[in-house]
Amino acid sequence: MSGNLRFLNKSITQSLCVLSRGYARRTSFPDYYQNPIFRKDEQSRLIEEGELSRRAKLPVKPPTVYESSSVYHDPLVNKVINHVMEKGKKQLARSLVEKAFENIKRKQIERYHLASSPDEKAKIELNPKDILHKAVENSKPLLQLTPIKRGGITYQVPGPITERRSLFLAIKWLLEATYEKEKQVHFPEQFAWEVLEAANNTGKVIKRKQDLHRQCEANRAYAHYRWQ
Amino acid sequence: MFQSGIKSFSLRQLLPATKLCVNYKNPLICASIQYSTKSVDPSKNVLNNLTDWETLSEKKKISKAMKAYLERAKEHDEFMKQQQIEYNIGKRHLANMMGEDPETFTQKDVDRAIEYLFPSGIYDPAARPLMKPPEEVFPARKAAEFDEAGRPHHFLFYTGKPNFFKLLHDAADNLQQLYNFQDKVIRKKATPDPNGKLELGSSLWLSKDQLEQVLVESISDLEYDNFKVVMERLAAFPYSYRYKDFIEKYRKPLVSQKFALEIPKPSYDDEGRAFVTTYECLRKDSRGDVTIRSPGTGKITINGKDLTYFEDVQSREQVMFPLIFSGMQDRVDVECNIEGGGPSGQSGAIRWGIAWGLRSFVDKDMLEKMQVAGILTRDHRRRERKKPGQPGARKKPTWKKR
Repeated sequence: MSGNLRFLNKSITQSLCVLSRGYARRTSFPDYYQNPIFRKDEQSRLIEEGELSRRAKLPVKPPTVYESSSVYHDPLVNKVINHVMEKGKKQLARSLVEKAFENIKRKQIERYHLASSPDEKAKIELNPKDILHKAVENSKPLLQLTPIKRGGITYQVPGPITERRSLFLAIKWLLEATYEKEKQVHFPEQFAWEVLEAANNTGKVIKRKQDLHRQCEANRAYAHYRWQ
Repeated sequence: MFQSGIKSFSLRQLLPATKLCVNYKNPLICASIQYSTKSVDPSKNVLNNLTDWETLSEKKKISKAMKAYLERAKEHDEFMKQQQIEYNIGKRHLANMMGEDPETFTQKDVDRAIEYLFPSGIYDPAARPLMKPPEEVFPARKAAEFDEAGRPHHFLFYTGKPNFFKLLHDAADNLQQLYNFQDKVIRKKATPDPNGKLELGSSLWLSKDQLEQVLVESISDLEYDNFKVVMERLAAFPYSYRYKDFIEKYRKPLVSQKFALEIPKPSYDDEGRAFVTTYECLRKDSRGDVTIRSPGTGKITINGKDLTYFEDVQSREQVMFPLIFSGMQDRVDVECNIEGGGPSGQSGAIRWGIAWGLRSFVDKDMLEKMQVAGILTRDHRRRERKKPGQPGARKKPTWKKR
């Protein structure tokens, strides 16, 4: 009987393949959906290349809830917020990061007003997002150590690092440095401090990066284990 | 009363496979037997030959395979004829039951009648009652693949799936031709025309079911993957435009975008302002409607409150997204009624509603830009259900050796 039913199902689904499986709720978009392009600069580049009307014919995924075409939207800031977030509490994470930005801004403005000459004033960066970008850029390592086992001994072998992983490490180190704080000091204050230090190429994070580079340099002799 | 009435004639239509599988108990055998609905021509020929006693007496012998095939074809034809008769009678009964003219009762009316008489809450279309013409219910069969002497026509007959392997064979052949052509071009020191590359973005490979229908053969998942690999390789070749027809034959165009079609004309209210209302703005568990009025000053009303209806900044940004994107934030007024779900779902529903309604107020270029930005796409995703035996939808329990 079950065989009969299966055959019945098969014959019907073959004839009605348009309808079949249309009943299930989809939890994701199919592969052929294109990623959305909603930033103004990326869109203008598309128009220059004359790709726009071609792409408009394809199905496109909707942007996610945290994306927007607003000038205040910054993918890196979003990434940092996601790293700060614990247990899905995004509102809290976002407020903490924004508070840190406020602290950065306050400190920089104070410095700006303390500066005596216009030359010095021009040097001081006031936009906290730019400062964060600079801090992350400065904290990104260029090399990494991978443990490789040869003859029963594990060697720390230096090698190149991907862009993605170096970004991950930079943000992770910034946050780890922030979490090493007194209990009385709040997260936004410490985070603002660490970001300013890293942007200035000083501080714990930069030291950690340089330590890694130094160890990579010391282990140069093992580099051939990557391919031997 | 209706149900018992309809049962008397349409049960066989509704469960058409019962009869077939009495004849062939195992569905697998059913699938592997190949005979034709259009077998009239070969059978006629053979029958003509049969009556031609001289040629028969010479040495034209019908092979056992052919004989069996003819028997099966005859049986199948009779079966289909019977099904057709039953279908026609059923249709007339149905028309009478619905109080309509049996002569002008079409398939559309049949579907409507079945939906009315057998209201089904079952989601799976395969489990719903249906009444279709028999040629739609029973898949097409192959014609005879061998002549009277039992010799196969097709050179790949003994692979068991001649059409499928012929397709792969042709693809490989075309690929070889392309390689030869490329060699020729290189020898002439020419470069491939970058504009000649095949545009495949707006179509997809046939799905497994569709390919099976085209080939009239059932294929396995592995074979379908092989088909895809070979065709991808052919299509990725810089000179693939030379075999455009071959490639297009196995591709299905994506559903054309309907965002540019059916843009509603705005209505006018008492104050003479144009307005468009989008009903059924859905996202997650939220549902609502959005009205856009133009000209306006950028006033946003959500359930009687302004944008501060949403307490978090992210949701407010989402509501503003289409307005800022299209530069209409201070040229239209927006009114929304929304219920159900949380802030994220509600703001998503409003975002889509505003974008969908703005179509009536923006030009064609902006429409294309909005499409590329993805704000005209309805986000139909829902939460995936938790599975028994594991802690979440996809999450598995921690692996323990013992």
